Amino acid sequence: MRESIEQLLDRLIHASAVERVAVSIAALLASILVGAVLVFVSGGFASCRTGLDIVGWTFCYNPMQVYYELFLGALGHPLEPGFHPLNFNLATTLQQTTLLVFTGLSVAVAFRAGLFNIGTQGQLVVGGLATAVTVLYAAAIVPGGFVGTIVLIPIGVLAGAIAGGLYGAIPGALKAYGGANEVITTIMLNFVAVGLTSTLLSWQFQDPNSANPQTAPVPEYAEIPNIPFIGFGGRMNFSMLALGFAIVLMIVIAWLLARTSFGYELRISGVQPLAAAYGGVDDKRMTVTSMTLSGALGGIGGAFWVLMVHGRWLENVPALGFDGIAVSILAGNNPLGVGAAAFLFGVLQSGSRSISTGTAVPPELVGILSGLIILFVAMPEFFRMIGMRYGIGQKKAVRADGGARVATDEESPNGGNRTSVDDGDQPAADDGNQTVAADGDQTAADNGGEGDD
Amino acid sequence: MEIKQQPTTAVRAMIDRLSRRMIITGAGALAVVWIVAGFLFPDSWAGVLLGIAASPSTHTATLRLAVPIALAAIGGIFAEKSGVINIGIEGLLIVSAFSAIIVTFWLGSGESTLALSHHWWGLFAGVVASTLFALLFAVVCIEFKADQIIAGLAVWLIALGLAPFVSRIVFDSPNTGNVGTFDNVTIPLLSELPFVGYLLFDTPPQVYLMLGSAAAGWYLLTQTSFGRWVIASGENPKALDTAGVDVRKVRYTAVLLSGVFAGLGGAGFALGQLGTFAGGGETDIQGRGFIAIATYLFANYHPLGALGGSFLFAGLDALQIRLQAAGYAVPTELIRTIPYVTVIVVLVFVGRTTLPDAAGENYESGED
Repeated sequence: MRESIEQLLDRLIHASAVERVAVSIAALLASILVGAVLVFVSGGFASCRTGLDIVGWTFCYNPMQVYYELFLGALGHPLEPGFHPLNFNLATTLQQTTLLVFTGLSVAVAFRAGLFNIGTQGQLVVGGLATAVTVLYAAAIVPGGFVGTIVLIPIGVLAGAIAGGLYGAIPGALKAYGGANEVITTIMLNFVAVGLTSTLLSWQFQDPNSANPQTAPVPEYAEIPNIPFIGFGGRMNFSMLALGFAIVLMIVIAWLLARTSFGYELRISGVQPLAAAYGGVDDKRMTVTSMTLSGALGGIGGAFWVLMVHGRWLENVPALGFDGIAVSILAGNNPLGVGAAAFLFGVLQSGSRSISTGTAVPPELVGILSGLIILFVAMPEFFRMIGMRYGIGQKKAVRADGGARVATDEESPNGGNRTSVDDGDQPAADDGNQTVAADGDQTAADNGGEGDD
Repeated sequence: MEIKQQPTTAVRAMIDRLSRRMIITGAGALAVVWIVAGFLFPDSWAGVLLGIAASPSTHTATLRLAVPIALAAIGGIFAEKSGVINIGIEGLLIVSAFSAIIVTFWLGSGESTLALSHHWWGLFAGVVASTLFALLFAVVCIEFKADQIIAGLAVWLIALGLAPFVSRIVFDSPNTGNVGTFDNVTIPLLSELPFVGYLLFDTPPQVYLMLGSAAAGWYLLTQTSFGRWVIASGENPKALDTAGVDVRKVRYTAVLLSGVFAGLGGAGFALGQLGTFAGGGETDIQGRGFIAIATYLFANYHPLGALGGSFLFAGLDALQIRLQAAGYAVPTELIRTIPYVTVIVVLVFVGRTTLPDAAGENYESGED
């Protein structure tokens, strides 16, 4: 698995920045296209009063209308009369963007260190609860008003970061000292986080005045304030200050990775663990440290979800951590790219609400779209092949892969040759087969032996 | 880490064997302590747990809950042994379980076509859906050289979105309607056998499918030349290529097989155990595909070992379900995490050694 990560990072680094952006945009367009087909076809199975009739079959959904609602609805329908820039939909988009910057950064930092942190979701859940509980207890001793705001919010965010960081350190330590694959452990820890926080909630922190599984609300002055007059209204659960903080954090992480020796060591252990170890980087400690940092970023995401959106922790946590994976992958795991990708996914999240009010198409479409985007970004080769076939971006493709690509192309006539050689070899291959078979037997016997133990 | 200690394969295998032996010995010792304590103090926690663990209904439930885990694990073994890590197996379980339910519903449950009950057609549809998804995954990984982990995650996330999406179109809700479950298949005489009769010979069909698939998977992987090709394709694809076997074809077949097995698991679980499918959140599959991955790592890629490992996780699941149902004053949510925590513990003990040499790598036969 390590090799596969190395390989991928290698590929990502060798690809030029321009090509990475091109692949991300192409992946986005391809996903939208596949999504449109899916929406249209599934409309054939839905029931509706009016739709598009094709040879006696009614197609209920219009993909254009769906994407209109998805993309323009998320911005508050700028093309329609009565548009106001500070509208609720745009606030929701930016609110989601803010939260996704944190989770996207969380995944990206781990990824750059050569680790797949699928556990951002769990780290966010744990961090969020820690924030809510800490602020609730601290509010009892801290004075209210402005003082409360400037004391409680940093404490709450810090509590989220620490809890999320510790929760992220667990899979890091298990990986470094136990060799446990972090993909599986982080996914398992997501389930554990849900169980753990629900248990803590019902044991101690449940809001006695509510039947819903949630903590008591934090005092209003502990919620992240808005900028008066120029910001969005208070009921929109979005603060420009929070977005500003997210952007600053994004720049800090980018600086940390690109300009500090810690960032250099982190990246080098992601790309070339051998070289890193040779250069004196403590591999195990770096694994734990980068997972802790990653978890802390996820925990900060949870803190802002609590302090900006709901003012309390709810058991029903949205899948911000999973979307963070998509954000990071779309951004090529580049901290600055995370900002743009987070905005796109913010649009998708907010747009999914417009879809469910404006059309009959299920809002889960957005989940499928994020999956498709990840799938397409994972296969840049696909777009290169298309580019080659139609002659667009050929130069780019050659530059991206260096000489290797050119060589493969030149070899392609030989490739035909090779097939015929293979065919000719077929009878002779029997010998070889036996060698492999003997090899295989060995392995099989080994396996059997271990199974018997 | 790699610099400081580069253990040879033999040493690695030994460490691996030791840690596996350690965990089995440890678990055995715990079990003995538990059983003794349970007998001595029947009113204690140990006694109550022992009562639940010893009851026939727990055993029946274990066998049924093992179906998705065991079958997904057997499928995962083929894919990973061939060099393609199929982390999307969870997605395959979701897709097959969901399509099985929806096709059964669409055809009309309780009726039959061509003398075959619609539940069986649903099962078939589930397997087809899962295999198609596996084909997509194979094309993406083998043809377009995608990163296997990321592509696997994508398959999982697409399935997570697709199930509630389609369900909402058909049922107006992320959860499907109920189509009922398979009836038990009772084999006369054999089902009268003491101890094993009710377990193995009076049980819904998916359990037979699981047992048969484990045997078939074992035979295919260890006794046929295809099995040897699969193993060679994961350990040393170049050698296999030199021997004149098309590595791509072997990998395609192995990944498609993982789709078939996972499809049987997901569809069998949905139609034999659930009867309905909840598509919200983590869906009804609840990470069983990931548990399956841990199971085959634990079993060191042995299909029969994976069957045994799935009983461990399914048994824990059955235990926690019975504990909840029995209404003891235990925090339900915490009990529910027991299987997941166990997966982590198992991975810490056996996770270090197992991957085939070329797993996760693309293989290009043109290069030398």
